[in-house]
Amino acid sequence: MNTFHLTIQTVDGPAFEGEAQRLFCRTIDGDVAILAHHADYCTALGMGEARVTLEDGTVRKAACIGGMLTMLDNRCRLLATTWEWSEDIDPERAHAARDRAQALIEQGGLSNRELALASAKLQRALVRSSVAKK
Amino acid sequence: MAGSMKEIKLRIKSVESTMQITKAMELVASSKLRRAKERAESCRPYFNTLHQTLADIAASNTEFTSPYTKARPVKRTCYVVIAGDRGLAGGYNSNLFKMMDAQTQGEDYCVIPIGKKALEYYQRRGVPILTTEFALAADISVGDSFAIADLLCKGYLAGEYDRIAIGYTNFVSMLTQTPALLPLLPLESLNDPKELEQIRDGKPRMLILYEPDSETVFNAIVPEYLSGLVYGAMCESVASEQGARRTAMDAASKNAAEMIENLNLYYNRARQAAITQEITEIVGGSAS
Repeated sequence: MNTFHLTIQTVDGPAFEGEAQRLFCRTIDGDVAILAHHADYCTALGMGEARVTLEDGTVRKAACIGGMLTMLDNRCRLLATTWEWSEDIDPERAHAARDRAQALIEQGGLSNRELALASAKLQRALVRSSVAKK
Repeated sequence: MAGSMKEIKLRIKSVESTMQITKAMELVASSKLRRAKERAESCRPYFNTLHQTLADIAASNTEFTSPYTKARPVKRTCYVVIAGDRGLAGGYNSNLFKMMDAQTQGEDYCVIPIGKKALEYYQRRGVPILTTEFALAADISVGDSFAIADLLCKGYLAGEYDRIAIGYTNFVSMLTQTPALLPLLPLESLNDPKELEQIRDGKPRMLILYEPDSETVFNAIVPEYLSGLVYGAMCESVASEQGARRTAMDAASKNAAEMIENLNLYYNRARQAAITQEITEIVGGSAS
């Protein structure tokens, strides 16, 4: 199967650099899968699970939150706000964070700003714990 | 003679205590530098790729529906200036301000100062300041850089300024740090017009697919891009500050050591002279 060059960068350093067969991730407009020789493409990323199919066919999963994805000239650049490989996520911590965020929202009495922060936190925790579970 | 001996002794003491301080500051700066350097290095690929990607997009962009992409006549520029929180860092702060002054000459501009020194500098010069919230460069986090990006975007969309650039210090190596000015918005300004001519060179522009559409994509990407670049520039600047401070303090310690050596020489000479004088006096006294 054809491959393309994939670079995944985050603020905390590069997460991946190499050839990939397929990149699957969630954008602001829904899930997309990028294959080799995709047309030049640019979109913003949402929050969700991402899957990278490596050259040898193994699939790696990650929690990907925010950022942008560009495909120019068969080179794909994914710049994420956070990108965590599933094996790097501690499931217990992710679940605990999810429960905490949920409890905070249910408890109520938050200002709009706090509520926005808490729901963003919950969403991130949900993505993370769902990726870690599998 | 005894008086000058005492004076020299006092001088030596004061230089010694200064040296102690500069030595301590050097040690603190080197340990902070190590951490700052690691952070800058891990952030640099992201910073470069981000800038390169946006420049590539801008070079081949044909969509001008988003206000971020289209250059408008520049009436006012907004500069994000990242300097240090403290002095005693050699030329770190003054070099940056010198470069900024050369760049901003004759322009109508406003600033978002980051770092106490930048804030003080622009307050003194009476330049309009958008916010004083981010006065401490050392504790700016990713979250803060998002807040800065948000602020920048809002002002840009509201037409308060037509161009955004960031002034920071590039961490080239432990010994060299160079101030730099990086244009951020509009995206058209990312590419040098001459270079652009070369890239395009008669070739048709590549068509990029934006999903769902270019405006939505740019509106989502640009704040992200701004905050990424602000954070990256922050990391570079913090590392540069520590590097500059370490070099400056190293030089100061060396100078102090040299000074103490010279003063010791003078001290010994004065002591010798005093002894000689005493002997002459005794000999003179017994002879008469």
